Amino acid sequence: MDLLQRFTHGEIDAFETLVRQFQGDIYAWIVRIVRDPGTAEDLTVETLWRVYRARHQFRPDGNFGAWARRIATNLAIDHLRRSRPEHSFPAEPAGVPQPDPLVQRETQARIQQAFRRLPVKLQVAATLALIEELPYDEIASALGTSVGAVKLRVFRAVRILRKRLSHSGITPE
Amino acid sequence: MKEHEDKYMTEHNDHEIRDALKRSFPPVNTELRRDLWPEVLRKLDARQVVVPWYDWALVGLSAVMFLAFPRLVLVFAYHL
Repeated sequence: MDLLQRFTHGEIDAFETLVRQFQGDIYAWIVRIVRDPGTAEDLTVETLWRVYRARHQFRPDGNFGAWARRIATNLAIDHLRRSRPEHSFPAEPAGVPQPDPLVQRETQARIQQAFRRLPVKLQVAATLALIEELPYDEIASALGTSVGAVKLRVFRAVRILRKRLSHSGITPE
Repeated sequence: MKEHEDKYMTEHNDHEIRDALKRSFPPVNTELRRDLWPEVLRKLDARQVVVPWYDWALVGLSAVMFLAFPRLVLVFAYHL
Protein backbone atom coordinates (compact mmCIF):
# COMPACT_ATOMS: atom_id res chain seq x y z
CA MET A 1 0.00 0.00 0.00
CA ASP A 2 1.48 3.38 -0.95
CA LEU A 3 1.85 6.44 1.26
CA LEU A 4 -1.34 8.24 0.19
CA GLN A 5 -3.45 5.10 0.60
CA ARG A 6 -2.02 4.54 4.07
CA PHE A 7 -2.82 8.19 4.88
CA THR A 8 -6.46 7.81 3.79
CA HIS A 9 -6.68 4.74 6.06
CA GLY A 10 -5.62 6.96 8.98
CA GLU A 11 -2.07 5.65 9.51
CA ILE A 12 -0.34 8.29 11.61
CA ASP A 13 3.15 7.36 10.33
CA ALA A 14 2.06 8.01 6.75
CA PHE A 15 0.55 11.34 7.80
CA GLU A 16 3.77 12.32 9.58
CA THR A 17 5.74 11.63 6.40
CA LEU A 18 3.33 13.81 4.41
CA VAL A 19 3.48 16.61 6.99
CA ARG A 20 7.28 16.68 6.87
CA GLN A 21 7.17 16.65 3.07
CA PHE A 22 4.52 19.37 2.59
CA GLN A 23 4.57 21.64 5.68
CA GLY A 24 7.10 24.00 4.06
CA ASP A 25 5.03 24.40 0.88
CA ILE A 26 1.82 24.96 2.82
CA TYR A 27 3.47 27.52 5.10
CA ALA A 28 5.04 29.37 2.14
CA TRP A 29 1.65 29.58 0.44
CA ILE A 30 -0.17 30.83 3.55
CA VAL A 31 2.48 33.39 4.51
CA ARG A 32 2.25 34.91 1.02
CA ILE A 33 -1.46 35.51 1.63
CA VAL A 34 -1.54 36.59 5.30
CA ARG A 35 1.98 38.14 5.32
CA ASP A 36 2.62 37.36 8.99
CA PRO A 37 4.93 34.45 9.96
CA GLY A 38 3.30 33.70 13.35
CA THR A 39 -0.22 33.65 11.91
CA ALA A 40 1.00 31.57 8.96
CA GLU A 41 2.47 28.95 11.33
CA ASP A 42 -0.80 28.70 13.28
CA LEU A 43 -2.80 28.40 10.06
CA THR A 44 -0.40 25.76 8.73
CA VAL A 45 -0.97 23.63 11.86
CA GLU A 46 -4.75 24.12 11.51
CA THR A 47 -4.54 23.21 7.80
CA LEU A 48 -2.64 19.99 8.55
CA TRP A 49 -5.12 19.07 11.27
CA ARG A 50 -8.02 19.62 8.85
CA VAL A 51 -6.20 17.63 6.17
CA TYR A 52 -6.01 14.66 8.55
CA ARG A 53 -9.62 15.06 9.58
CA ALA A 54 -10.76 15.16 5.93
CA ARG A 55 -8.53 12.24 4.85
CA HIS A 56 -11.53 10.12 3.84
CA GLN A 57 -12.49 12.72 1.20
CA PHE A 58 -9.07 12.49 -0.48
CA ARG A 59 -8.62 10.13 -3.42
CA PRO A 60 -5.22 8.38 -3.20
CA ASP A 61 -4.64 8.96 -6.95
CA GLY A 62 -5.15 12.72 -6.50
CA ASN A 63 -2.65 15.55 -5.99
CA PHE A 64 -2.09 15.81 -2.23
CA GLY A 65 -0.17 19.11 -2.47
CA ALA A 66 -2.89 20.85 -4.49
CA TRP A 67 -5.62 19.52 -2.19
CA ALA A 68 -3.81 20.69 0.96
CA ARG A 69 -3.12 24.07 -0.66
CA ARG A 70 -6.83 24.57 -1.36
CA ILE A 71 -7.67 23.85 2.29
CA ALA A 72 -4.90 26.28 3.32
CA THR A 73 -6.25 28.98 1.01
CA ASN A 74 -9.75 28.67 2.46
CA LEU A 75 -8.37 28.97 5.98
CA ALA A 76 -6.26 32.00 5.05
CA ILE A 77 -9.32 33.66 3.46
CA ASP A 78 -11.36 33.00 6.63
CA HIS A 79 -8.55 34.51 8.70
CA LEU A 80 -8.44 37.67 6.54
CA ARG A 81 -12.22 37.99 6.80
CA ARG A 82 -12.02 37.86 10.62
CA SER A 83 -9.17 40.38 10.86
CA ARG A 84 -10.37 43.08 8.50
CA PRO A 85 -9.52 46.72 9.37
CA GLU A 86 -12.59 48.55 10.66
CA HIS A 87 -11.77 52.18 9.98
CA SER A 88 -11.31 54.00 6.71
CA PHE A 89 -8.68 56.71 6.30
CA PRO A 90 -9.41 60.42 5.83
CA ALA A 91 -9.15 62.00 2.39
CA GLU A 92 -6.26 64.28 1.53
CA PRO A 93 -6.09 67.07 -1.04
CA ALA A 94 -5.24 65.56 -4.45
CA GLY A 95 -1.93 66.02 -6.21
CA VAL A 96 0.24 66.73 -3.15
CA PRO A 97 3.92 66.04 -3.97
CA GLN A 98 5.54 63.46 -1.62
CA PRO A 99 9.33 63.73 -1.65
CA ASP A 100 9.67 63.32 2.13
CA PRO A 101 10.49 59.70 3.17
CA LEU A 102 8.18 60.07 6.16
CA VAL A 103 5.32 61.08 3.87
CA GLN A 104 6.19 58.21 1.54
CA ARG A 105 6.03 55.76 4.45
CA GLU A 106 2.64 57.12 5.40
CA THR A 107 1.50 56.81 1.79
CA GLN A 108 2.61 53.16 1.78
CA ALA A 109 0.71 52.59 5.02
CA ARG A 110 -2.39 54.09 3.42
CA ILE A 111 -1.98 51.89 0.34
CA GLN A 112 -1.69 48.85 2.64
CA GLN A 113 -4.81 49.92 4.50
CA ALA A 114 -6.75 50.50 1.27
CA PHE A 115 -5.61 47.11 -0.02
CA ARG A 116 -6.68 45.32 3.16
CA ARG A 117 -10.13 46.86 2.89
CA LEU A 118 -10.74 45.24 -0.49
CA PRO A 119 -13.24 42.33 -0.55
CA VAL A 120 -11.18 39.36 0.68
CA LYS A 121 -11.45 37.26 -2.49
CA LEU A 122 -10.22 40.19 -4.58
CA GLN A 123 -7.48 40.92 -2.07
CA VAL A 124 -6.16 37.36 -2.14
CA ALA A 125 -6.20 37.14 -5.95
CA ALA A 126 -4.43 40.52 -6.23
CA THR A 127 -1.86 39.58 -3.54
CA LEU A 128 -0.89 36.39 -5.34
CA ALA A 129 -1.01 37.86 -8.87
CA LEU A 130 0.37 41.38 -8.40
CA ILE A 131 2.57 41.28 -5.29
CA GLU A 132 3.79 37.68 -5.48
CA GLU A 133 3.55 37.52 -9.30
CA LEU A 134 2.52 33.86 -9.28
CA PRO A 135 1.11 32.22 -12.42
CA TYR A 136 -2.64 32.63 -12.86
CA ASP A 137 -3.24 28.89 -13.30
CA GLU A 138 -1.53 28.18 -9.97
CA ILE A 139 -3.69 30.81 -8.25
CA ALA A 140 -6.85 29.48 -9.93
CA SER A 141 -6.11 25.94 -8.77
CA ALA A 142 -5.61 27.05 -5.15
CA LEU A 143 -8.75 29.17 -5.17
CA GLY A 144 -10.77 26.40 -6.81
CA THR A 145 -11.82 28.61 -9.71
CA SER A 146 -10.92 29.36 -13.35
CA VAL A 147 -8.06 31.47 -14.70
CA GLY A 148 -10.63 33.87 -16.18
CA ALA A 149 -12.27 34.34 -12.76
CA VAL A 150 -8.87 35.11 -11.19
CA LYS A 151 -8.11 37.69 -13.91
CA LEU A 152 -11.50 39.28 -13.31
CA ARG A 153 -10.87 39.46 -9.56
CA VAL A 154 -7.48 41.10 -10.12
CA PHE A 155 -9.00 43.56 -12.58
CA ARG A 156 -11.74 44.50 -10.11
CA ALA A 157 -9.24 44.80 -7.26
CA VAL A 158 -7.06 47.21 -9.29
CA ARG A 159 -10.07 49.26 -10.33
CA ILE A 160 -11.41 49.59 -6.76
CA LEU A 161 -7.95 50.32 -5.37
CA ARG A 162 -7.21 52.98 -7.98
CA LYS A 163 -10.56 54.64 -7.26
CA ARG A 164 -10.08 54.62 -3.49
CA LEU A 165 -6.50 55.88 -3.66
CA SER A 166 -7.45 58.61 -6.07
CA HIS A 167 -10.31 59.61 -3.76
CA SER A 168 -7.79 59.89 -0.89
CA GLY A 169 -5.41 62.00 -2.94
CA ILE A 170 -2.81 59.24 -3.36
CA THR A 171 -1.31 58.84 -6.81
CA PRO A 172 0.80 55.68 -7.29
CA GLU A 173 4.12 56.66 -8.88
CA MET B 1 -6.74 54.34 -32.25
CA LYS B 2 -8.72 55.54 -29.23
CA GLU B 3 -9.19 51.93 -28.05
CA HIS B 4 -5.46 51.34 -28.40
CA GLU B 5 -4.72 54.44 -26.31
CA ASP B 6 -7.25 53.40 -23.65
CA LYS B 7 -5.71 49.93 -23.46
CA TYR B 8 -2.24 51.45 -23.17
CA MET B 9 -3.38 53.77 -20.35
CA THR B 10 -5.10 50.91 -18.48
CA GLU B 11 -1.99 48.73 -18.68
CA HIS B 12 0.15 51.68 -17.63
CA ASN B 13 -2.10 52.31 -14.61
CA ASP B 14 -2.04 48.59 -13.71
CA HIS B 15 1.76 48.67 -13.69
CA GLU B 16 1.67 51.73 -11.45
CA ILE B 17 -0.69 50.02 -9.01
CA ARG B 18 1.44 46.86 -9.09
CA ASP B 19 4.63 48.82 -8.39
CA ALA B 20 2.94 50.77 -5.58
CA LEU B 21 1.71 47.51 -4.02
CA LYS B 22 5.14 45.88 -4.29
CA ARG B 23 6.69 48.89 -2.53
CA SER B 24 4.01 48.88 0.18
CA PHE B 25 4.18 45.11 0.79
CA PRO B 26 7.82 44.09 1.09
CA PRO B 27 8.66 40.44 0.26
CA VAL B 28 7.94 37.95 3.05
CA ASN B 29 10.32 35.19 4.10
CA THR B 30 8.65 31.99 2.92
CA GLU B 31 11.06 29.65 4.74
CA LEU B 32 9.44 27.69 7.56
CA ARG B 33 11.49 28.34 10.74
CA ARG B 34 10.63 25.15 12.64
CA ASP B 35 9.15 21.70 12.32
CA LEU B 36 5.39 21.89 12.94
CA TRP B 37 4.80 18.13 13.31
CA PRO B 38 4.95 18.12 17.17
CA GLU B 39 2.31 20.85 17.26
CA VAL B 40 0.11 19.03 14.72
CA LEU B 41 0.38 15.86 16.79
CA ARG B 42 -0.52 17.74 19.99
CA LYS B 43 -3.55 19.21 18.24
CA LEU B 44 -4.64 15.78 16.98
CA ASP B 45 -4.34 14.31 20.50
CA ALA B 46 -6.12 17.25 22.11
CA ARG B 47 -9.06 17.08 19.72
CA GLN B 48 -9.33 13.30 20.08
CA VAL B 49 -9.94 13.41 23.85
CA VAL B 50 -12.73 15.99 23.61
CA VAL B 51 -15.87 14.47 25.19
CA PRO B 52 -18.94 15.00 23.00
CA TRP B 53 -21.84 16.98 24.46
CA TYR B 54 -24.19 13.99 24.52
CA ASP B 55 -21.81 12.11 26.83
CA TRP B 56 -21.91 15.02 29.25
CA ALA B 57 -25.72 15.07 28.92
CA LEU B 58 -25.83 11.37 29.82
CA VAL B 59 -23.64 11.93 32.88
CA GLY B 60 -25.86 14.84 33.97
CA LEU B 61 -29.04 12.83 33.45
CA SER B 62 -27.62 9.90 35.46
CA ALA B 63 -26.66 12.24 38.32
CA VAL B 64 -30.18 13.71 38.40
CA MET B 65 -31.71 10.22 38.38
CA PHE B 66 -29.48 9.05 41.25
CA LEU B 67 -30.36 12.16 43.29
CA ALA B 68 -34.08 11.80 42.63
CA PHE B 69 -34.16 8.00 43.08
CA PRO B 70 -31.21 6.96 45.30
CA ARG B 71 -32.27 3.30 45.21
CA LEU B 72 -31.35 3.20 41.52
CA VAL B 73 -27.71 3.05 42.68
CA LEU B 74 -28.40 -0.42 44.09
CA VAL B 75 -30.08 -1.54 40.83
CA PHE B 76 -27.12 -0.25 38.86
CA ALA B 77 -24.61 -1.87 41.20
CA TYR B 78 -26.49 -5.18 40.88
CA HIS B 79 -26.23 -5.07 37.08
CA LEU B 80 -22.56 -4.10 36.97
